Amino acid sequence: MMPYFKFDYFGFDFSLVVAFIIGIGFGFALERGGFGNARILAAQFYFYNMRVLKVMFTSIVTAMLGLFYFTWIGWLDISLVYIGDTYIVPQIIGGLLLGMGFVIGGYCPGTSVVSAATGRTDGMVFIAGIIFGIIVFGEMFPLLEGFYNSTNLGRVTLVDFFGLSQGMLVFLIVLMALGAFAAAEWGERFFAKKNGRGVE
Amino acid sequence: MKNWFKNLSTNKKMAISALVLGVLAIFIGTPNDVHKIYVNAKEMALSTVKDQDKISVKTFADWLIKDKADFILVDLRNEKDFYEYNIPSSVNKKMENLLGSDLMRNQKVLLYGNDNIAAAQAWFILKSSNYKAVYILNGGMDAWKNEILFPKLSAAATPEEIREFEKVKQVSIYFGGTPQIVSDGSATALALQQNKMPELPKLTAPAGNITPKAKKKKEGC
Repeated sequence: MMPYFKFDYFGFDFSLVVAFIIGIGFGFALERGGFGNARILAAQFYFYNMRVLKVMFTSIVTAMLGLFYFTWIGWLDISLVYIGDTYIVPQIIGGLLLGMGFVIGGYCPGTSVVSAATGRTDGMVFIAGIIFGIIVFGEMFPLLEGFYNSTNLGRVTLVDFFGLSQGMLVFLIVLMALGAFAAAEWGERFFAKKNGRGVE
Repeated sequence: MKNWFKNLSTNKKMAISALVLGVLAIFIGTPNDVHKIYVNAKEMALSTVKDQDKISVKTFADWLIKDKADFILVDLRNEKDFYEYNIPSSVNKKMENLLGSDLMRNQKVLLYGNDNIAAAQAWFILKSSNYKAVYILNGGMDAWKNEILFPKLSAAATPEEIREFEKVKQVSIYFGGTPQIVSDGSATALALQQNKMPELPKLTAPAGNITPKAKKKKEGC
């Protein structure tokens, strides 16, 4: 039964090997999705190429349906899957910072690694920026620690928050994703016409 | 009908599959009901027999030294004993409050009492309530004292045993213990000559019911 690590099918050391393999797979999928290219990623924010939204929603729906049905079949104990705590204010601020970095640099941390791995210089510079940022954050951490640990809401899931059954929530998110795909396709055509540039 | 589906683009096929699975999900509802208690007697018995649910104090000492933090160590003894001395990183919890406590089902939980009895009872309570990763610190506080804090080497030990003891000694000193050499049945502390059980190390950190600071993001991206 999954998750294998929590059921002690393998130890900590081997889990690193598994993480490495999954990481390579993740990077490969990102690259094949076109996420090694900052132009495609940044285009999301100008609405003329909605590939990021489509890929993200596809992966969310795939993972969600997989987790839901694996639990139903009995292959997975979802209560053992780690869910981080919600620290609402620090996470909103962090999300905004990440978004700003995303628009300015054209990458998020994962995609910058993919980009650098395919030999793009901007990706490498971006990684250098990330490392610099980590060092600055680490040095400033004593000052930020109070804020970093503030407004902890504990484990919050949409199911608990809305009081819906898991199945109903799965259905609603599928609907939302399909709606987003349709809107994205329409939006791409609309903005392509307006901006006079095609979908890249 | 078949042809109609075949003629759709891959995107549309995937969208329809997702929609069908989504609609089915409504009828399934909540596949894992957390309030249902499910006891797999055989699985529990097997894991007990195979000792899969026990962690030796030596292994655990090793975890502490390596700063492993993917578990929570629960001290089931009474408060007085806990404040007198406890195994580093432990939190004191009463057995009757275990299920209502902040232990999470996806946490690796390690239990100890003075010996194995309380830990085994708590193990059953948690295990039957779907806490999956529950372990007993084998031998409890007694084993921790005997094997980690005050390990003994017989005076007539073989060279191999002595070599082994050297390692144990380092671990013991790390945790503030006093390794001893035993001759004629009386224990002699390596450092100071004395016959009675050496003193427990003083707790350096304020132990106990002070909730440890929330550790953020042990897992995840």
